[in-house]
Amino acid sequence: MFFHWLEKNPFFFAAGISIVISFAGLLEIVPNFAEAARPLVDLKPRTVLQLAGKNVYKKDNCISCHSQMIRPFKSETDRYGAYSLSGEYVYDRPFLWGSKRTGPDLHRVGNYRTTDWHENHMWDPPAIVPGSIMPAYKHQFTNLADIETAYAEAVTVKNAFNTPYGPEFKGTRAAWEAHKPKVLEEAKRIADDMKNKDIKEAVARGEVPEVVALIAYLNSLK
Amino acid sequence: MNALTIKALAFAAILIIATIAVVTSLDIDIMGDFVYAVTMGGAIAIAVITAFVTTKYINQMKTDTPSGDLADENWDGIGEYENELPSGWAYAFLATFLWSMWYGFLGYPTNAYSQIGEYNEEVLAYNEKFESLHKNADAATLLEMGESIYLVQCAPCHGNTGDGLSGKAQDFTGRMTKEQVLYVINNGSNQLGYPMGMMPPGMAAGKDAEDIATYVAGGMQGEKPASFAACASCHGEDGKGMNGMAPNLAQYDDTLMTLVLEKGKKGVIGTMPSFKDRLTPVQQKAMTVYIQSLSN
Repeated sequence: MFFHWLEKNPFFFAAGISIVISFAGLLEIVPNFAEAARPLVDLKPRTVLQLAGKNVYKKDNCISCHSQMIRPFKSETDRYGAYSLSGEYVYDRPFLWGSKRTGPDLHRVGNYRTTDWHENHMWDPPAIVPGSIMPAYKHQFTNLADIETAYAEAVTVKNAFNTPYGPEFKGTRAAWEAHKPKVLEEAKRIADDMKNKDIKEAVARGEVPEVVALIAYLNSLK
Repeated sequence: MNALTIKALAFAAILIIATIAVVTSLDIDIMGDFVYAVTMGGAIAIAVITAFVTTKYINQMKTDTPSGDLADENWDGIGEYENELPSGWAYAFLATFLWSMWYGFLGYPTNAYSQIGEYNEEVLAYNEKFESLHKNADAATLLEMGESIYLVQCAPCHGNTGDGLSGKAQDFTGRMTKEQVLYVINNGSNQLGYPMGMMPPGMAAGKDAEDIATYVAGGMQGEKPASFAACASCHGEDGKGMNGMAPNLAQYDDTLMTLVLEKGKKGVIGTMPSFKDRLTPVQQKAMTVYIQSLSN
């Protein structure tokens, strides 16, 4: 009989057990996963400026102190807002859940902080939040955000994963030049709410300081 | 009753007495508590039943002789009698089987644990308790509640003392600064949806605007400038907004607090986001009480 052969060949026996168990796992996990991983209705992918800000967020390693994942506990939803749903992260590649909260969670920071607050806070955190141990990020006011790479990223995820960016997102120089004014316009809206003269001038010149992109990204976290 | 049974019962009795001795030496009153009494009863029952069951089987091993039909197969010469399946074992198996059917098709699908479900129940229960507890909260409770909400929700922008961190946010120790009044006079305002409607820009200009700004920023103290008449038609002679028809220029009243928390505000300092649905009605009342206490 077949099982006699199986009992004498531990390797194939182990392989068989793995297949049986994985099949059960597949049956239980995959349907849930597929359902929960769908984008929420009306979820839009991040704009190019917000993507550039997300790259600043990654570069300056905000994730090592801030999470982006509100768990369904009353203590958390009281402070940070509604609990996070997996469908909110589908266009985040990679998602930035984080695993450590030295600072507060940021998943809905766009609901309760505004551009001018971020401007003051990134310049000198302890002046805004007494006792804060967050360092100042003054270099973000002079370094320029890489909006071109952010655009390339948008085109790439559109082509590779069908992320719903519009038909004007194409991998050509001309398409980028056509899209760039939109990015600058969004940056100008952020800069209009800021007080720093240098930032306003830089944006008027067609440059995007990192802090502008970062604020656009943080404001989009809702 | 043979000698073995007596020995086993004696052993059980020693165990029971030792247990009672140890428990009593720990100053535990066995009969004083229902659970203690049941536990001790259980322990005695286990000891006595074990004594009888063990003796039964030891006696059986000593006296029994093999009987009955042997099964066909044997294992290296060791055979097996064709005994009936023990009925207790068979019923237990059947019960397990039925239970697994119920659990698999009914029990689990209709009563599965859900983290979100637990969260919803927790929040619902808490909110009900909170509302009933603070339905008629007195002023001191509201003030304390307002302060704790303020420190979590408001202090990150307005500062722990409510001073607005030197002009980075609204300063709650006063109502409006001269700069703010001038900004509203020059730009108008239509954000909060008061019944009076929009305030058009340029209601006053030049020296008049300066005078009004100084007067309002000074907390409506001193001589009222003649140009304030332009404001008084909506905000009232005393600047208190005619009972919620227009913004109160003198105090943070209920209407102003409710509208700003709901809609947010954009002014010369910057933008405040909306706090709609983040506070319960009681909490909002507490906020008003606390903010008013800061300017007094």
